[in-house]
Amino acid sequence: MGRITLDKVQKSFGDVEVIPPLDLEIEDGEFVVFVGPSGCGKSTLLRLIAGLEDVTGGDITIDGTPATDLPPAKRRLAMVFQSYALYPHMSVRKNIAFPMKMAGIPQDEQARRIDNAARVLNLTDYLDRRPGQLSGGQRQRVAIGRAIVREPAAFLFDEPLSNLDAALRVGMRLEISELHKRLATTMIYVTHDQVEAMTMADKIVVLRAGHIEQVGSPLELYRTPRNLFVAGFIGSPRMNFIDGEDASSRGAHTIGVRPEHLAVSDSDGVWRGTVGVAEHLGSDTFFHVHFDGRDEPITVRATGEVALKHGDTVWLTPDEDRIHRFDQQGLRI
Amino acid sequence: MATQHSRAAARVMIAPSVILLLAWMLVPLLMTLYFSFLRYNLLMPGANPFVGFENYTYFLSDPAFQTAIVNTLLLVGGVLVITVVGGIAVATLLDQPMWGTGLVRIMVISPFFVMPTVSALVWKNMFMNPVNGLFAWIADVLGMAAFDFLTQAPLASIIGIVSWQWLPFATLILLTAMQSLDSEQLEAAEMDGASAWARFWHIKLPHLARAITVVVLIQTIFLLSIFAEILVTTNGGPGTASTNLTYLVYAESLLRFDVGTGSAGGVVAIILANIVAIFLMRMIGKNLDA
Repeated sequence: MGRITLDKVQKSFGDVEVIPPLDLEIEDGEFVVFVGPSGCGKSTLLRLIAGLEDVTGGDITIDGTPATDLPPAKRRLAMVFQSYALYPHMSVRKNIAFPMKMAGIPQDEQARRIDNAARVLNLTDYLDRRPGQLSGGQRQRVAIGRAIVREPAAFLFDEPLSNLDAALRVGMRLEISELHKRLATTMIYVTHDQVEAMTMADKIVVLRAGHIEQVGSPLELYRTPRNLFVAGFIGSPRMNFIDGEDASSRGAHTIGVRPEHLAVSDSDGVWRGTVGVAEHLGSDTFFHVHFDGRDEPITVRATGEVALKHGDTVWLTPDEDRIHRFDQQGLRI
Repeated sequence: MATQHSRAAARVMIAPSVILLLAWMLVPLLMTLYFSFLRYNLLMPGANPFVGFENYTYFLSDPAFQTAIVNTLLLVGGVLVITVVGGIAVATLLDQPMWGTGLVRIMVISPFFVMPTVSALVWKNMFMNPVNGLFAWIADVLGMAAFDFLTQAPLASIIGIVSWQWLPFATLILLTAMQSLDSEQLEAAEMDGASAWARFWHIKLPHLARAITVVVLIQTIFLLSIFAEILVTTNGGPGTASTNLTYLVYAESLLRFDVGTGSAGGVVAIILANIVAIFLMRMIGKNLDA
């Protein structure tokens, strides 16, 4: 069971308030992703839940038990660190056994759990190696193995994939998702990569400067971002923002159109511009279209191969139903 | 061609310094070896006949020799234990965030800047002196009889003085090693339920293994040849109670003016140092492998 409740949790370092009072409800078995730009307080929030930092105010409840004053080891949470934090002088087996040794679990039970974890994580052949002899992905799996054997109430991941190369990252992303399906244990995952958030999460928590900007499922955030920040943060490539007459004619201060909700034509449409950079990916083509009197280009996604090149004149038509409208304060209308 | 030429030129260029260094090392070594086979006493000038291993037999059968070996090993071992254990303890304390860290660190390092003769004299006259020393005064205040350190426990006192000198070195090396430990490892251990002691024992100490090895090796080299501290405090006495091998060689060659036996003692000291080095490398050298 792993139901975690944050009630007006607040954290200051000296005079600097990193996290203003914040409420959050994490249901049992949920995969929650904290996402936000660097320095937004997402890692601090995770460390508060883990108990590695003390809260300045507010309460943390894990499974109905007050956990605010419990030491990290007593909270029944397991954490996977960005640097993996494996113990370099111990073999993989000893690394995985360490938390159980500290908890005084009998040897045969330890062996059973290690075998189990090694099988699940494909580590059986590496149990007697040292972490220094393993690849990045294998180290990552050892770190997860060390977390699994504790049979925790929830797993905490602190940017676990950021030290891996792009191909491995996609693979590990799938593995962690599958692991979550199999274990059905609560997982809290911190990342700055919105693609990781979108692909893995049941629930995304978007943070900025310690504030929760929005909480919701990936598609909720994609379809109905609550404000300009979330709209710009979720989705790749990012949403185009247009203000001025085009916005006011639609009754808004700013409107947002995602690149995939713009139709491209070389003959007619609503907005006329010039193609700047064209990125041909085969499956998709991204155009950066320049307009007179506008500094930033507008990004457009066209499916498949489109034969437009630098300098061509192009017409764009937004999908009117999927235009996001925002008021002066940047809130969704 | 070019590389061959430049290589030859490079050899010629570095040759003088290499030859100088070699001569610097080899000439005294060979002369020591040569003298060790001669009857060569400065009090009896004249012929210096070749006497084979007579000097060695004399030196090795000297009752002072066994004492000197034991004293040398006790001195090295005692100082190593005190500085490594104490160094770990002090480094652990200095690793804690506290007010005035910079000042405290400089003060901890400062004994290393005092030259051995001076620090040994300060210890002898200001601390251990049974009449004027600080320890005698403390004993007096507590109503106890003053303890004459350098007479009652000469070797232990010297071990204390030398440890005081070398503790900063050990502390410094161990502190840097301690600070290079990834803090996430400690946090992971904390989440894994390790107590402060378990974190020290299972995470910090293994991390320090390499630094401890370096401390032990470097200190052993210097501690085998401790001399000044003995000369200014006990003069190797009372009797031979605080004579180590270096001091015995000095006594033979410069107090008894017996160059031959002194040289033989020097060669024995070189052999002993090598034996110790081999044992050390066997025992802890593997810690230095990556």
